Amino acid sequence: MKNLIPYFTLGYPNNSRLCRFLDILPVEKINYIEFGFPSNDPRYDGPVIRNTHIVGNSNFSDSVYSRYFDYFYRNHIKMYSLSYYSDIKDRFHEFIAYLQKNRFSGIIIPDLIIDYFSEFRRVIEDLNKRGFEYIPFFSPATPDSIIKDVASLTDSWIYYGLQPSTGIEIPYELDYTTERINALLPGREITYGFGIKTDEDIKNLMKNGGSGVAIGTYLVKMIDSGDEKGFVDYINRMRGVLDA
Amino acid sequence: MITSLNRDIMPENWYNVVPDLPEPLAPPRDSKQDISSINLLNKILPKEVLKQEFTFRRYEKIPDEVMEQYEQIGRPTPLIRAKNLEKYLGYRGKIFYKYEGATATGSHKINTAIPQAYYAMKEGVNGVTTETGAGQWGSATALAASLYGLPAQIFMVRISFEQKPLRKTVMNLYNGNVVPSPSTLTEYGRKILKEHPDTPGTLGIGISEAVEYALDHDYRYMVASVMNVSLTHQSVIGQETKKQLEMLGEHADVLIGCVGGGSNFGGFTFPFIPDGDETEIIATTADEVPKFSKGDYKYDLVDSAGVLPQLRMYSLGADFVPPTIYAGGLRYHGASPSLSLLINKGRIKSDEVTESEVKDALRTFANTQGIIAAPESGHAIATAINYVKAHRNESKTIVVNVSGHGMLDLSIFGEKQ
Ligand SMILES: Cc1ncc(COP(=O)(O)O)c(C=O)c1O
Repeated sequence: MKNLIPYFTLGYPNNSRLCRFLDILPVEKINYIEFGFPSNDPRYDGPVIRNTHIVGNSNFSDSVYSRYFDYFYRNHIKMYSLSYYSDIKDRFHEFIAYLQKNRFSGIIIPDLIIDYFSEFRRVIEDLNKRGFEYIPFFSPATPDSIIKDVASLTDSWIYYGLQPSTGIEIPYELDYTTERINALLPGREITYGFGIKTDEDIKNLMKNGGSGVAIGTYLVKMIDSGDEKGFVDYINRMRGVLDA
Repeated sequence: MITSLNRDIMPENWYNVVPDLPEPLAPPRDSKQDISSINLLNKILPKEVLKQEFTFRRYEKIPDEVMEQYEQIGRPTPLIRAKNLEKYLGYRGKIFYKYEGATATGSHKINTAIPQAYYAMKEGVNGVTTETGAGQWGSATALAASLYGLPAQIFMVRISFEQKPLRKTVMNLYNGNVVPSPSTLTEYGRKILKEHPDTPGTLGIGISEAVEYALDHDYRYMVASVMNVSLTHQSVIGQETKKQLEMLGEHADVLIGCVGGGSNFGGFTFPFIPDGDETEIIATTADEVPKFSKGDYKYDLVDSAGVLPQLRMYSLGADFVPPTIYAGGLRYHGASPSLSLLINKGRIKSDEVTESEVKDALRTFANTQGIIAAPESGHAIATAINYVKAHRNESKTIVVNVSGHGMLDLSIFGEKQ
């Protein structure tokens, strides 16, 4: 089964609306889930997700979500945290311990190798020691040697952002992009994210060896409008497209 | 030159350094909270240009139509051993210069103007628009647009417009329409004129006007420099240089170029980056625009109005109004992110030279080699001369990029001529 990874910023648009959408999420159709912990500076996100961080920041309440973390864990859905290092670096161990307590499998840190390049090795080795997955985050702008270096420190799946930030629609060469990452990391699970919307894109990514997709910005729109049916239908349909 | 020989020297692909950088390039960042200036690029740049900017293909095939026009405007450009200059300086090593002044418009700018205008034409837009400092980029844009039958609207930094009236004549000859910037053609220009009626103008203001004009008229904006794609297109300079050195059995020990936004410099030096750290690479800026020594390495605005995404680069601040030096092309407040990263990591060194050093260097170069170089290129020549003086006892092979000729910048020499 290919990875279908819905993304949610915790606390957005408010706790009760998000809980409602988590309640109706067809768990049998997904295998991973990504939770954004609201950031003070979501610098590599586009305007839609950026806004979810601002709103989420004022709403997020730990106690609301622990029950959901438990629920997804019991349903064998692997949970990953999306956290900016700029937000967690001063309480890193505490935060990782919190995620582990809540049975998260790993963490995606979009700013680590960009803004904290000199620290990435230490951080990844530290996570390895704790038995917590570090999910490398790459983009077309990541140099080849860095992709190889970072990927060699872990054996987890790779998160590959196709666009310069979330929810952006800049034309790019899908075939070339997938070819390049496949050639650099043969046999590695590559899950694509950022700006993925059309069935066509998903089909092509899977055809070129992709192991799954993460969907974020597109879900926000349905959550905003309270379109519960559209949301459930979309997840069901994406499962079909992925496994076609 | 014989065509087949040209094609032996000219590369078939552009080279993009990003996959070979020592650290990841920080992505562009939206300038405003609620809208995506990155997404807005879809309406500002030709699609293919945008695709190249964000795909980061190490080797990008140069379309046949572009190769043909490259030959028409004088590519490959010559690589000349500056024997007279060597002798004058009493240097035991060798000095070569790559002469981009030999192109039809007199500078390297045409190397990226041609593909950008070509992609805009293929897209069927109404026209192209851009800013220009010294007028070299405006001339290249006007010619490239004209070659593909597109109208060109050019915003020329006011101080240069006044200092270099012949540049306007050149752009008009190439069918370009030129106004001094800030202008009354855009809302942003009108605002600046109201607040600072005597402003000499800046490239940042010019960019803002051109981008606004592009959005309002379904034109496409032509990127002179700073954005990675322009450096990629300029890689024809460095790739030709490598090939020419190889044909001569030479190896570059030192590469020197001048930096405005970084396009001629990146184009000239980046193709040498994958070869390792042996070649010393030096970027020269104007003493009056000390971006690498006094600027901060941070996210900053590319244009003063903040319509374009912010880039992480060395910057003196987007509202920095540099002194009105003659090298208009070096007055820009920032520098390309890839170049900034390589400077920050110490792979590329920087140097600053004063206007009087530049004038002396230009005189020396004219007297020895007969070439009247552009004031911008004069900065690179000055650094090369200083390098030779400081390393008298070495015998290295120094290659300088002379990014343009200065036949329209003679007023720099004032009365003394
Ligand atoms: C002849 C010449 N050299 C250099 C420059 C600086 O620009 P860049 O750093 O993009 O090459 C200019 C810009 O106008 C120029 O006209």
